[in-house]
Amino acid sequence: MKSKYFTWFSILMALALALAGCAQPTEEPTEAPPAPTTAPPTTAPPVGPEIDCMGASAGDTLTVMYQWSGAEEEKINAIFKPFVDACGVEIVASSTRDAAVLDTAAKSEPPDLLFWPSTSPSLLYTEQLQDFASIGAHAENYADFWIEQGTVSGRWLVLPVKADIKTIIWYSPVQFETFGYSVPTTFAELDALVEQMVADGNVPWSMGMESGPATGWTGSDFIQDLLLVQQGPEYVMGLIDGSVSYDDAGVVEAYETYFKWASDETYTVGGATGTVSTGFLDAIYKVYSDPPEAMMVKQSGFAGGEVAKFYPDLEYGIDYDFFAFPGAQGMQGGADFLMAFGDSPATQAMVAYLTSAEGATAWAKAGFDLSPNKWADGKYIDAALAKKGAALANAAGFTPDLGDTIPAPFGEAEWRAIVDIIQGADIATALAAAAAAQAEGLGQ
Amino acid sequence: MAAPKIMQQGRVVPWLYVLPALIVILVFIVYPTINTVVLSFRDRRGEQPASVDCVEGQPCWGNFENYRYALTHPDMTTALKNNALWLLIMVPAVVGMGLLIAVLADRVKYEALVKAIIFMPMAISFIGAGVIWRFMYYIETGTGEQVGVLNAILDAFGIDPIPWLSQPGINNLALMMVGIWLWAGFCMTILSAALKGLPEEVLEAARVDGATEWQVFWRIMFPMILPTVTVVITTMVIIILKIFDIVFVMTGGNFGTEVIANRMFKLIVTDTGRSMAIAVLLLILTIPIMIINVRRFREQEAIR
Repeated sequence: MKSKYFTWFSILMALALALAGCAQPTEEPTEAPPAPTTAPPTTAPPVGPEIDCMGASAGDTLTVMYQWSGAEEEKINAIFKPFVDACGVEIVASSTRDAAVLDTAAKSEPPDLLFWPSTSPSLLYTEQLQDFASIGAHAENYADFWIEQGTVSGRWLVLPVKADIKTIIWYSPVQFETFGYSVPTTFAELDALVEQMVADGNVPWSMGMESGPATGWTGSDFIQDLLLVQQGPEYVMGLIDGSVSYDDAGVVEAYETYFKWASDETYTVGGATGTVSTGFLDAIYKVYSDPPEAMMVKQSGFAGGEVAKFYPDLEYGIDYDFFAFPGAQGMQGGADFLMAFGDSPATQAMVAYLTSAEGATAWAKAGFDLSPNKWADGKYIDAALAKKGAALANAAGFTPDLGDTIPAPFGEAEWRAIVDIIQGADIATALAAAAAAQAEGLGQ
Repeated sequence: MAAPKIMQQGRVVPWLYVLPALIVILVFIVYPTINTVVLSFRDRRGEQPASVDCVEGQPCWGNFENYRYALTHPDMTTALKNNALWLLIMVPAVVGMGLLIAVLADRVKYEALVKAIIFMPMAISFIGAGVIWRFMYYIETGTGEQVGVLNAILDAFGIDPIPWLSQPGINNLALMMVGIWLWAGFCMTILSAALKGLPEEVLEAARVDGATEWQVFWRIMFPMILPTVTVVITTMVIIILKIFDIVFVMTGGNFGTEVIANRMFKLIVTDTGRSMAIAVLLLILTIPIMIINVRRFREQEAIR
């Protein structure tokens, strides 16, 4: 008797396990570059007299520290190569993601150059860092806002070297052609296009943002893009430093625009319920299903990789593509920065090289995301990078993600406000709570 | 007559026996508890007194600032309300369910099979259960087919799908359903054991005297297993006060489903002081139940 029930039990268990196995994986997306990236160029760009060695002689060593490893490290080495070939400087690199390792190094033997994905070392080692203006950086190759953002108490300590933008919208060129839509270049055109789609019986947006405890971040990106369109990058920087309160009229306006699109099923898949209940990955897929459930989805570069995984038959550039958020006066995204501890001739030569047209070209050709250097625009080989590069080159500002940059408890409060508003809460009340969290996070 | 030498122990020897357990308790329970209480009076980094977070012109409880958050902040009042709701609805439901199944299964041929099925969810990790139920409650918001079991059923009857997890009012009940599914087996097993322990003669006598099954249950069985029922209830109260996994996996505390333990978890990285204050609050809420539980247990021991 006993063994009979045990068999039954085992069968049920096996069934349960099998069912669980059938469940779709809901893994987090990897921040992979959207399109297949091209291999680093095998032939180095023309070198020779263009690279100024600033008096560094062959055999000089240059110590650098960065967080990159693997394929990323190969790319940065491809970027260094023309310089190394021209000047014969030996680069001694150490790769670490650990801020404690950096701290130990900074206090004993600081690297000549530091590449870091945040500007925080500039606040910790302000006195030790060199002013780029005095070590040969080509300031003229960078937009003013970059230099302003990199200036700490009057000295230019932080130089952006690598950036990626997420102020982009994904769409299906095939569908756009079928319905005779053209890619909008201004916000008014986008607005008109959205209305045109509704008139044609199409759903313009797929706005799903369900993401477990992080539900809301997709909406947060969308709203920041709207702020960049309606108010501009300086306003967003104001929100980050607290000079503009998160319940300001400009923020309310952005939320009103967002609410109009995200809560109505004529504008987005499933209306308000669809926005809060649909997983952010499903939201991407809906634009490329057959027939498509929506025309556009606002999502970062990783969306391209997700489409390629989910629909292996679709081709980038033909079946799926993106355009920069129309009318955005600035871009939002992440950047990696260069900081200089040393001022040796080799250090100065490297800084001069990276900030020169040659350095920008090498960076663009290596396809290591985007280079904020003005000369990089038009030099990208990868089509997706070329498009993003053009958007970055035309931007009047670069803003980091609001929710990530303003300290806790703001990020969570922002997401909550978004979800509450989509579910019908009063915009002013919900934003007042987020503004209180903003003030609290910034210690105001 | 004096006891044999070997039976005589100095004052020190008992302590030696207790020592290993004592060390473990001190290191892993007493010290962390004290440290938690201390940290609950500190700021978000756990370095300065909590009063540094006070902003002029706004209400402040001085060094009890984190407790002001834990008791009055809207996020926390929602969580406290939800925990109360979980207690009020899920405890009676899960214990009642367990009792019902225990009584009914007692009378069927396939008792072991029935119990195995009901108990099986306990074998699944709670995170796994949350993931499984996310698919049960899944809602397709576009033009696709409803693949979530519940919405597929509604769809078959031509009823509009329900966003089980994101609609306030429904979502808390949907989460409690998962809790009941998980814990009913536990309650059933313990209550079933208590029922099996009842002396057959008493029940037999009642039936001979003409009592209906209903009367047998309410007048004889239930009073006799009442101490066990109490233990099950208090155990469930403690478990539900600390409810976390289900909420974390299924809604992440969004859409008005926040609970105390989930808030503690969310804040542990960003705000040490508040997180610890919530932990202390949870501890304070649990202690009375613990005391009742222990007292009950002692009474039961005394009867034996």
